[in-house]
Amino acid sequence: MVMGKLQAVPGELQAAGTMDTKAEAISLLVDGELEHERVEHACSSLREPGCIRTWVCYHVIGDALRGVATMPAGFAARFSEHLAAEPTVLAPTRARPTPTAVAWAAAATIAAVSVVGWVALTTMPGGDVGPAIAAAKQAATIRAADARPRVDNEYLLVHQEYSPTTAIQGVRPYLRAVAASEPDARP
Amino acid sequence: MLVRSIPKRRTLARLVRASRGAGLVVATLLFVPVALGQDAAAWLQRAAGAARSLNYVGTIVYQHGSRVETSRLVHLFDANGEFEKLTNLDGPAREVVRNNDQVRCYYPDAKIVRIEPRSFRNAFPSLLPQQLSALATYYFFRKAEIARIAGLETQAFVFEPKDGLRYGHKFWADLTSGLLLKARLLNEKNEAVEQFAFTDIQIGARLEREMIRPPFIFLPPDWQVRESPPGEVTPQETGWMARDLPPGFAKVVEGFRVLRGKPAPVAHLVFSDGLVAVSVFIEPTPSSPQPVGLSQQGGINVYSRQLDDHLVTVLGEAPGATVRQIAYSVGHR
Repeated sequence: MVMGKLQAVPGELQAAGTMDTKAEAISLLVDGELEHERVEHACSSLREPGCIRTWVCYHVIGDALRGVATMPAGFAARFSEHLAAEPTVLAPTRARPTPTAVAWAAAATIAAVSVVGWVALTTMPGGDVGPAIAAAKQAATIRAADARPRVDNEYLLVHQEYSPTTAIQGVRPYLRAVAASEPDARP
Repeated sequence: MLVRSIPKRRTLARLVRASRGAGLVVATLLFVPVALGQDAAAWLQRAAGAARSLNYVGTIVYQHGSRVETSRLVHLFDANGEFEKLTNLDGPAREVVRNNDQVRCYYPDAKIVRIEPRSFRNAFPSLLPQQLSALATYYFFRKAEIARIAGLETQAFVFEPKDGLRYGHKFWADLTSGLLLKARLLNEKNEAVEQFAFTDIQIGARLEREMIRPPFIFLPPDWQVRESPPGEVTPQETGWMARDLPPGFAKVVEGFRVLRGKPAPVAHLVFSDGLVAVSVFIEPTPSSPQPVGLSQQGGINVYSRQLDDHLVTVLGEAPGATVRQIAYSVGHR
């Protein structure tokens, strides 16, 4: 769930599987892709404060990415509040971040900070975007620590067998699984 | 959700609206994909056939991200079947030795050999009709330049995705034999995600069996053998499904697998659009906590998520957002 922070309202959706399911239903509802029979249930779940915040969050991020600026008043303040309320350590620690992890981390930070900064700028006429950006930076840093979970080589090798790339390239794609410079490509 | 709700659908809707007035255009479009699909499939099948049935030896440069690795590849095909040996030339030694269906990976630094007793599926020669049309429906296929690779004349051909849900592919095939001398995976910004390229190659070379021998006939006693359980997956319903696959992806196989290091059988579903495959693995939540989220190894993106008391892992030669989308759509049938 660590990578999912920007998609779900932080903190509240991390723990329980049921919340996860609800968030997923809301995501599908926002996209108009929820099965008909689940719509009513998803709508009634919006009475819960956590779910309505998820609903708002999904809309705002979707709108921000589409470049449509229709934010509810005070959204940025609430958003930054939630980010600030994030639990500090969610991920198991990694001994050494790999260069790729650092790159991912940088990208994640820039993305999170620019989305939040942009949202804050467009929704707060006073221009007090500092707290929101600070909170986003903090959240992104925590998430970045776990941006690159270890690749399960067992799965990679099994997958290789079915990949059409193996058919046209023979054993070459196995280099992915044994690449000496890949920290995860261990036996 | 982020990805699904960005302008994709609107663009599609606009396209559909635009084509409504032009019945002729629609009619033409219906015929073109099949023809293009056959043309594309013919190139791929020729490449697959060449990769399987020719003898060749050469040096391969594998690039992924900012990393570059050089390996030596020997491929031999005779009455006894297909043999291949890949030896990396930089960094810690690695050897991948294939004897028909069996692949062994040797890690001399760790004194470990992994044995993968699985079959090579020659997916392209038996492309499903559905996948054939998917190729042309979801990719623009075109022949590109004639280029010189490893001293040989090649024909480049390109599969450019029509949506943001797949990677682009560029292949360079030897004009004489059809063998791929270079293969590149491209992201939506047209940047190379991964590339395999021969820097020198001899096709049709006279090869000695010695050249494809594993490093040991008898494994030294201090080596560890890690053998995957014999692993034909028995096709059966697993009770799982992926509700939100990118269009054009069809199920290739579904079943349970016994995997090394996994206490319980793992549900495995494979979907393919004809050019790449995406695997979905569902296992009971392991006792040790597993990191979740997105990761990448070469051209493969991997997304793991917790679903009630199961761990869902989706991986394939597809963009991170796509494997994530599929991972979030996995549920009980």
